Amino acid sequence: MKILTTVKKVVDVELTIRVESAAIVEEGLQYVMNAWDENAVEASVQLKENNGAETTLVSIGGDDDNTQIIRRGFAMGIDNGIQIDDPLLAGADSFVLARVLQKVYEKGSYDLVITGKQAQDTDNGQTGIILAENLEIPCVSNVVAIDVIDDELLKVTRLGDGGKEIVELKLPAVVTVSDSINEPRLPQMRGLMMAKKKKIEVMDLAALGTSFEEVGGSDNRSEILEFSRSQAREAGKKYEGDAAEITAQVVGLLVNEAKVL
Amino acid sequence: MAKVLVIADIKRGEVKRSTAELLAKARSIGAETAAVAIGNNLEALIPSLVSGGSDSQYIADDPGLELFSAGPYATCVVDAASQFGADQIWFASTENSKAVAPKVAARLGVACATDITDVAYTGDNIEITRPAIANKVIQRVKINSEKLVAVVRAGAFKMTDESTAGSENVIRLSAPPTDLGAVVKELIADASGEIDLGDAAIVVSVGRGVKDQKGIDLVKGLADDLGAGFGTSRAMVDSGLMEHNKQVGQTGKIVAPKLYISVGISGAIQHLSGMTGSQVILAVNNDPEAPIFNVADYGIVGDLFEVVPILRQQIKSIQR
Ligand SMILES: Cc1cc2nc3c(=O)[nH]c(=O)nc-3n(C[C@H](O)[C@H](O)[C@H](O)COP(=O)(O)OP(=O)(O)OC[C@H]3O[C@@H](n4cnc5c(N)ncnc54)[C@H](O)[C@@H]3O)c2cc1C
Repeated sequence: MKILTTVKKVVDVELTIRVESAAIVEEGLQYVMNAWDENAVEASVQLKENNGAETTLVSIGGDDDNTQIIRRGFAMGIDNGIQIDDPLLAGADSFVLARVLQKVYEKGSYDLVITGKQAQDTDNGQTGIILAENLEIPCVSNVVAIDVIDDELLKVTRLGDGGKEIVELKLPAVVTVSDSINEPRLPQMRGLMMAKKKKIEVMDLAALGTSFEEVGGSDNRSEILEFSRSQAREAGKKYEGDAAEITAQVVGLLVNEAKVL
Repeated sequence: MAKVLVIADIKRGEVKRSTAELLAKARSIGAETAAVAIGNNLEALIPSLVSGGSDSQYIADDPGLELFSAGPYATCVVDAASQFGADQIWFASTENSKAVAPKVAARLGVACATDITDVAYTGDNIEITRPAIANKVIQRVKINSEKLVAVVRAGAFKMTDESTAGSENVIRLSAPPTDLGAVVKELIADASGEIDLGDAAIVVSVGRGVKDQKGIDLVKGLADDLGAGFGTSRAMVDSGLMEHNKQVGQTGKIVAPKLYISVGISGAIQHLSGMTGSQVILAVNNDPEAPIFNVADYGIVGDLFEVVPILRQQIKSIQR
């Protein structure tokens, strides 16, 4: 089985994000692998270890952060890395990125694509699903377990609104994974050293056998006009001291001041 | 006049309040409205789609639609959207919506926006607002396609006093073909009989501070006293003490109740992004530095095992 795992770099959400003149201030930001993509990498490596799959990771973006993210994937156990480096893709939306991933998929004849269910920076959660739709292959989202039945069939578990859904999924297919599927491993020192030496296949759109027009680059369906800071909630009042006293006081306020009880 | 199609949010044979909220918002921007209901045995739900504010009702009612499957559900939505001539297609924020909406957008060749908190026309263009980066920033986004598929963040659109009923005009959709590539074999249903987090006026959530089942039972008692929904943090789900469907946060449910009571939850950013839309937040935590206090309107610094029993007593006495 050949697996394609997509990973995205995202800003580290634990850090302070500053907004000035309707844009995010780049200074001081740090980039990491999207947390859900770490789950996707872990799921792929487990399929490699348990079922002998060959794993390839792809990331769109040319800068050093992306290179580091691919190397992290290597250190976690991924076999091959592809980096799509084309400045034209700077403002691409989910639909354009899905077209680019489609080209990568078609070049490599993969059996399974694994993506994180969403990205921590946009929380869009669309690219994997659109990719499957464009390829006209089946897709299951928010997956919490993947079991291989044979070369052509997986049994996957999806967390749906009504409970756990057990789905038989015909390959080739796309799955997007939930963070509850696994606990991503931490790369070991040895793995990180070896990952440094591994070759990453770097391609622009032309090398990928496509063009900006073909991936729909010039007609983004949406564009961000501006960013603003979220209305931060003001910290209210903290009550410390005798438990009985402060609890009575707060209940009184919930009734008389906030009027929610 | 713009036409807005709202996908009915149906759970356990009931149309959720979010459906009427989305319809009310559509009417408030002067749109003509329709609802599409997808599932099995839907006949009894039609009146609530009408009273919720839809002017026509597209019904895909078939035993094959009993279990959720994104492909066939998307086919029904696309069918209703084309018959109605929808300019916008709105989903309430559920896990299933998030699976279907991008499919619908891809098939129609239009934009898709998830987690939106507002939508408006500026001239001929649609613009939406949505939070991003774990709720730290707000994006204003211009939609370049003429049409939009959107998933609306929980609690973003509210009912108003002017919210009005629609009129009955039922159109039946034919059953879609099943997805042979992804066959849903079984649904292991969540326990029933619980208050839905999304509907609850009050939500009480427990975090790792409760330690074990005894701690959970203590706080569940408080939730029951209040008739509240019972939520949790991911740490509790990971430890197997609570079910995933109770998780509040970025990967769980987004809730916006009148009152959110957080007990023994630290307030990690991923948890906060699921509950800071609440009207009033009360936090109980024994660490005065816990980040939950940065968003809480009322904070009780104390041992939950001491505080919660008193809280229950106090609340019982005002309920009398
Ligand atoms: C990609 C990603 C997605 C995530 N999504 C979510 C999500 O959707 N929802 C979510 O909740 N988390 C999510 N998380 C996890 C999140 O980062 C935190 O790890 C989690 O919320 C912590 O849960 P907690 O507050 O229960 O536990 P802890 O952080 O361990 O906090 C326990 C708290 O209990 C307090 N406490 C202990 N004993 C007592 C006592 N006796 N009395 C009173 N207080 C006490 C402590 O002071 C502490 O503040 C996500 C993480 C990642 C990386």
